[in-house]
Amino acid sequence: MQSEITEALNRREIYRYLGYRGAVPDETVRQMTEEVIAEMMAVIAPRHIYRIFDCRTEGGRITLRSEDKGAAVLSVRSEKLAVNLERCEKAALMAATIGGGADKLLGRYEVLSMAKASAAQACGAACIEAYCNVLQRRMQRQASGQGFFLRPRFSPGYGDLALETQREIFGVLECTKRIGLTLTDSLLMYPTKSVTAFIGWTTNAQTCHIGSCSTCDNIGCEFRDEQ
Amino acid sequence: MNSEKKTIREQLGKALLFFDGGMGTLLQSRGLEAGELPETWNLLHPEVIRQIHREYLLAGCNIVKANTFGVNCFKCKGTPYSVDELVHAGIRLSQEAIDAVRQELDTDRPMYTALDIGSLGKLLKPLGELPFTEAYEAFKEIVTAGTQAGADLILIETVSDSYEIKAAVLAAKENSSLPVIVTMIFDENGKLLTGGDVASVTAMLEGLGVDAVGFNCGLGPEQMKRLLPQLTACCSLPVVINPNAGLPVVIDGNTVYNVAPDEFAGSIKALVEMGAGVVGGCCGTTPAHIEAVVSLCKGMAVKPVTDKELTVVSSYNHAVYFTDKPLIIGERINPTGKSKFKQALREHDMEYIYKEGLAQEERGAHILDVNVGLPEIDEPQLMEEAVCGIQAIIDLPLQIDTSDTAAMERGLRCYNGKPMLNSVNGKKESMESVFPIAKKYGAVVVCLCLDEDGIPETVEGRLRVAGKLVETAAAYGIPKKNLVMDALVLTISTGQENANITLETLRRIRYEMGLHTVLGVSNISFGLPERSRINTAFFTMAMQNGLSAGIVNPSSEPMMAAYYSFNALTGNDDQCMAYIASCPQGADKAQAASTAKDGALSLEDAIVKGLSESAYQATLRLLQQGAESLAVINDRLIPALDVVGKGFEEKKMFLPQLLMSADAAKASFEAIKETMSERGRKSQSKAKIVIATVKGDIHDIGKNIVKTLLENYGFDVIDLGKDVPPETVLETVKAHGVRLVGLSALMTTTVVSMEETIRLLRDNHIDCRVMVGGAVLTQEYADMIGADFYSKDAMGSVRYANDLYEAGAL
Repeated sequence: MQSEITEALNRREIYRYLGYRGAVPDETVRQMTEEVIAEMMAVIAPRHIYRIFDCRTEGGRITLRSEDKGAAVLSVRSEKLAVNLERCEKAALMAATIGGGADKLLGRYEVLSMAKASAAQACGAACIEAYCNVLQRRMQRQASGQGFFLRPRFSPGYGDLALETQREIFGVLECTKRIGLTLTDSLLMYPTKSVTAFIGWTTNAQTCHIGSCSTCDNIGCEFRDEQ
Repeated sequence: MNSEKKTIREQLGKALLFFDGGMGTLLQSRGLEAGELPETWNLLHPEVIRQIHREYLLAGCNIVKANTFGVNCFKCKGTPYSVDELVHAGIRLSQEAIDAVRQELDTDRPMYTALDIGSLGKLLKPLGELPFTEAYEAFKEIVTAGTQAGADLILIETVSDSYEIKAAVLAAKENSSLPVIVTMIFDENGKLLTGGDVASVTAMLEGLGVDAVGFNCGLGPEQMKRLLPQLTACCSLPVVINPNAGLPVVIDGNTVYNVAPDEFAGSIKALVEMGAGVVGGCCGTTPAHIEAVVSLCKGMAVKPVTDKELTVVSSYNHAVYFTDKPLIIGERINPTGKSKFKQALREHDMEYIYKEGLAQEERGAHILDVNVGLPEIDEPQLMEEAVCGIQAIIDLPLQIDTSDTAAMERGLRCYNGKPMLNSVNGKKESMESVFPIAKKYGAVVVCLCLDEDGIPETVEGRLRVAGKLVETAAAYGIPKKNLVMDALVLTISTGQENANITLETLRRIRYEMGLHTVLGVSNISFGLPERSRINTAFFTMAMQNGLSAGIVNPSSEPMMAAYYSFNALTGNDDQCMAYIASCPQGADKAQAASTAKDGALSLEDAIVKGLSESAYQATLRLLQQGAESLAVINDRLIPALDVVGKGFEEKKMFLPQLLMSADAAKASFEAIKETMSERGRKSQSKAKIVIATVKGDIHDIGKNIVKTLLENYGFDVIDLGKDVPPETVLETVKAHGVRLVGLSALMTTTVVSMEETIRLLRDNHIDCRVMVGGAVLTQEYADMIGADFYSKDAMGSVRYANDLYEAGAL
């Protein structure tokens, strides 16, 4: 998995998180970033879990049920997520983390060099994104076999999907027990480089399978990628 | 019942015992809803719980896990029930089922009720939000209830964070005398989800005195078969194995476990042959599985548990063994004879300590000695802070080094792993105060061969003290393997025979008494010139005479050269790989040359280009040439930082460059600080600023960036860290008369705490300004919560602080 993540890791993304937008970093910064990436890759321990459910959206409410029993495992209100999951017969709930090693590395850099710490922060963020993309591509293969296409990932905190949804996702997926992901009272995740998300499965062909800035309506975002 | 309670400890590891199987899946099949706390059924549907216990007992199990796994004060919050009543009900249902089955079958089969304790579901500090002491209290409540209710043993299971496990075990040991069994979830690579390995956590648990350890959940029996040898190789306790019925498979959105009862039993039989002494099941296992296991394995002999005689210490993620290959214990975290270190301690400069730790790890230390003793500081408090802080970023095991028993206990208690303790000696008073603490926390103790009569001058005298220490330790229940003897080093400048005496003592302790040894090597040259010459020669001689671990400075090139050479020469370095890796490589030499070249750069250039070493050297040069430190800061350093800051604001330079310059400026400040402390002067700061990441928020990199930049510009920053309660901010601001507070928050959920903090300051009429920043904040939001200033990036806060300072408002 490490090598797949390394391959999927997007340098442009890292520099975008570091505030470069389109600009090209100089040699010193590039070299430092590569050092950080190498160290980061040595300490990550990627783990994930996902489950696929029957999905129904009705009047801005999304309900997920086990495919056989019909008992609702999760029910949440969100107009934006409802739009995202429109005409999706199924949806996956996923959780993924690159592990606490990345946070520990960040802590070390904060003592030794804030420049490296900022690079590690960006690199960690890009790393979990890369991991999710790898997982989503795998899921796409599974979905294709059943004639489905995937919608972009949608996480609690996006748009009007309440962060409180995290509690329900953690319950359904047993995130803590299964992949060591914990949720604080203030709904933050630790390890910090982690993602939970809904991924819609639809029989409608899509052009955009993996989420990007173009699907996000936070136009003023500091990190928005215009290309 | 009573006679059984006495015998369960005796039976463990001698007679094969059977646990029951899974509970959760059975409850779901009987109508437990998703999200419902299963333990509420102890009161709502007691007949269902009793029936499940009964089925397992009829299947032949010996130990029933009472339905208390998920009970804790956090999960009870959402229910109308208390921990006490759910635990009492759970234990009672198990006991009732046992009584009924015993009567019905008229059997004398031993049957026990286990108080079942699971994870609290929260991550402990320093990484998470739950303080260790609160975790301990939460477990204590469960343990107390279960013990009162009459449980026969305590099972701590399905846990995967060694720190949480330690809190649970301490709570069990300190509030109950029941046997304690711990089973953990490992992945297929033998790692806990928090990164610990089998050896490290086993070492910790043996040290804490649990009765049996093992695996449960996470894996099926086949995967546990592959993992069991790792456990039996290092574990001197009975082994418990409760696997799932295979690895989970998701079918139609449901998690299922596929291994059928007969197949499961076959694997369990193999596990018993490999050394498991207590077996049962976890998720997906049913009474049918347990019945199959009992009928196949009943009567099998348990492989005798042997003492592995390992001298081992561990951090949260790995174990370090004392063997014939010597270890390096880094000695640098110690204020003795170091004025800069003392100053750092007085100023509560924890970063200084962490840097020393990181440098020693980088240089190849295996264990770090931690000594933070100064007469004028609160040593117990600082010890705890240092141990937790170091463990948050450094993976090496630690040696708690203090003569203050309160500091000793604090350090050992908060330590994540099996610690090393420095030290006890042969004086009655020392042994009486140190051995009980060492025993309780399972520490490996350094024993100094001296007593009331001082340091014996002869080999025989020191051996006598060593013997006394071994004997007394045994009386406290501390085995030889947990003692490491310090033969003591006196300088040869005051006694010609001193080295010979130490070496001979060392040899006889190691090879005649069979104990591991340690030495503070560099004492040998005290009072002599060119000490490293003597030190390295003596270090080599000591290793040749049975030194197991040298307490040395790993940053000393000659010492480490002696160490790697010794290992290569004694066949302890496969293909001399470690030796070769320790030699300066071509690239290092080139870098050294380029650093030398950059060394000629001006301070301004070094800072603008973000070259730390060059900035440090340039500053030293300026100061040596007689420049005043204040002039260096104001006329050279700050203008250079301004160039970068302006470039950043104009988007010509970017965050990494800004921070590389900040790192370089920091290095320059180091040089200034060192020089001033040599000249006996204290550096001056512009004004104090308090910064904090607010309560509930654990993302603090933005705050740390701001801190670095503010310090660059000469402010004295009081950094309260992350997850800081509003009251702490208020108290600190009051105590230091601070006029500017910086707060950061990442999420909308934590901006609420930011608002609360500001309100608290305002309500208390504190005359200070508040600047805020963080991902979700905007100017409007900042206005709404009553902040004085919104900083959209790190430079913004520097500009604001500077403006206030220049206007005389700070």
